[in-house]
Parts: sequence; structure tokens; C-alpha cells
Amino acid sequence: MAFDPKQKILVVDDMSTMRKIIKNMLVKMGCTNITEAEDGKPAWEKIQEAYASGTPFDFVLSDWNMPGMTGLDLLKNVRADERFKKLPFLMITAEGEQSNVVTAVKAGVSNFIVKPFNQATLQGKIEKIFK
Amino acid sequence: MSMLKDPEMKEIVDGFCEESNDLCQQLEDILDEYEENPGKIALLEQFGQIIDRIMGAAKSIDAEKTGNFCELGKIVSYKASQTDDMKLLEIVTAVLFDTLDILNSLLENIEKSGEEKVEGINLETFANRLKWLEEKFSHVERASVSIDENEPKNKQESIDQLLADLGL
Repeated sequence: MAFDPKQKILVVDDMSTMRKIIKNMLVKMGCTNITEAEDGKPAWEKIQEAYASGTPFDFVLSDWNMPGMTGLDLLKNVRADERFKKLPFLMITAEGEQSNVVTAVKAGVSNFIVKPFNQATLQGKIEKIFK
Repeated sequence: MSMLKDPEMKEIVDGFCEESNDLCQQLEDILDEYEENPGKIALLEQFGQIIDRIMGAAKSIDAEKTGNFCELGKIVSYKASQTDDMKLLEIVTAVLFDTLDILNSLLENIEKSGEEKVEGINLETFANRLKWLEEKFSHVERASVSIDENEPKNKQESIDQLLADLGL
């Protein structure tokens, strides 16, 4: 399934600066249906609520290092639930260690992006996930 | 044009400064608590996790010096959280307090003028002090929030290669 900018996207980051930057990039890519969450826990609640209300998220972009529930724990929750096994999930991190990548891949991440990144890199990652 | 000077990015840059100031306050509280409880080295790990958040956002708005400075502070604090050398930890605490002062000045100047400068302090010299401290912990492997630190850091290109190797 190709990426459609009308798809419902969830951006998860504890830093509102990062959420704004990512949202700006997504808006420039034509995305209009963007929801934000400031930590893994509210993100997980939003994912379940959206599904229950019949308007599930099509794509999740989440930071790794967050003070409450980490991006990795959010990913594990998502993949442990049959309803979200195939939900595209892009992990964002300031870390570039191989073990992080391997751990995230084992947990079922769709792709991985390292901060700082620009719009072209983000777009490339998203297109790769949806190709 | 650097994002720091881009009028269209002003709201984001101001938001970054405000948010980072709050995190700096948390960092100061952590160091204060650590000074009162010098054996509680988990606090230094907490310091590393918080300064890591400033680092990621700083690098994303082209505040490169601030981001690199935070990265050094993060490495030193993470590594310090894995040692019991109390003498060295005393130095670490003092240097991390100075790091915070400089970080506060950097943020103030970014907010005022969009420039990463600190009056009266040679940033390079101070960064060298942090690097010197980092070398003192050369026997300590873990320097970040990663699962296993026994490996080099990777840029996006090498991460992409690894992802490709892993079938993504």
C-alpha cells in the first residue's frame, strides 16, 4: 500500500519542539490528519481509542527516549496486540547504536531514523515503509 | 539559512528554549540532589537521559554547538553513573554544574539573537574539559541509553545499511 498523505498519523515525542518539527515536515509533505502524544502511555491509549472509534491510526512515528513509556515499550505493546501487528511504526532516536537498531527490529519496528533528520530523509523513510 | 535565524522557525526555536529551560531546571535539581546524596549515582544516569532530550531537539533546529555540548554532558554523566570513584565523581559533579551554566547561557543567547555564543567563556576549552573527563571513563563502555554500548556510534547511512542487512 502506497503512502497517502490523508492517512491518520500519530507523532509521539516528549519534546514539543520535536513534535512541531516533525509535524511541519509532514504538513509540507501534504499530510493533514496528524495527532500528537507527549509520551508512550498516552500514545498507546490514543492508538486503542482510535481503533475503538473506528478511525484507527495508519502510521506511528515515535521517539525512543521518553521519560514515561519509552518508544520501544510502546512498540512492544503495539506488536503484542493482534489488532496492531501490521501498524507501520517508525522509530526516531538521537542514538545510532547497532544494538538499538537490532532491538527495535526484533520488536517489530518498520524503520528507524536518527536525529537530526530533514524532510527528505523522513519522506524517504515513510515511502520505504509504504512501498 | 540556519533554522535559528529563520523567522519562520522562530516559534519553534522559542519553544525549544522554553522547553529546554524547564529541563535545565530539572537537571539542576538532579545535581543538587546528587550533591546531597553522593552515592546515588542513578541520578547521574537520569541527568544523561534528560540532557539527551535537549541534545536531540537542539541538533534538529541547527543548534549544533548546543547539541554537541549536550552530547558530551550526556556521555560524561552516563559513564559517571557506572563508576564508584568518588573523587572523580566530585569533579564530574562540579563540571556538570558548569555545563549547566553554559547550557543556560547558550539557550539565553539563542532566544535573544539566534546565536550560539557564551560571553567570557571559551566553549572549545570547556568542551576539552568534558572530553578529558570522558577519557577518564574510558574503561566504562555504556555512554548512552542504548542497550549495549560495546559498539561504535552510527550515522543514518550505516544504520540504513544495517536495516537493509536485517531485511528492512
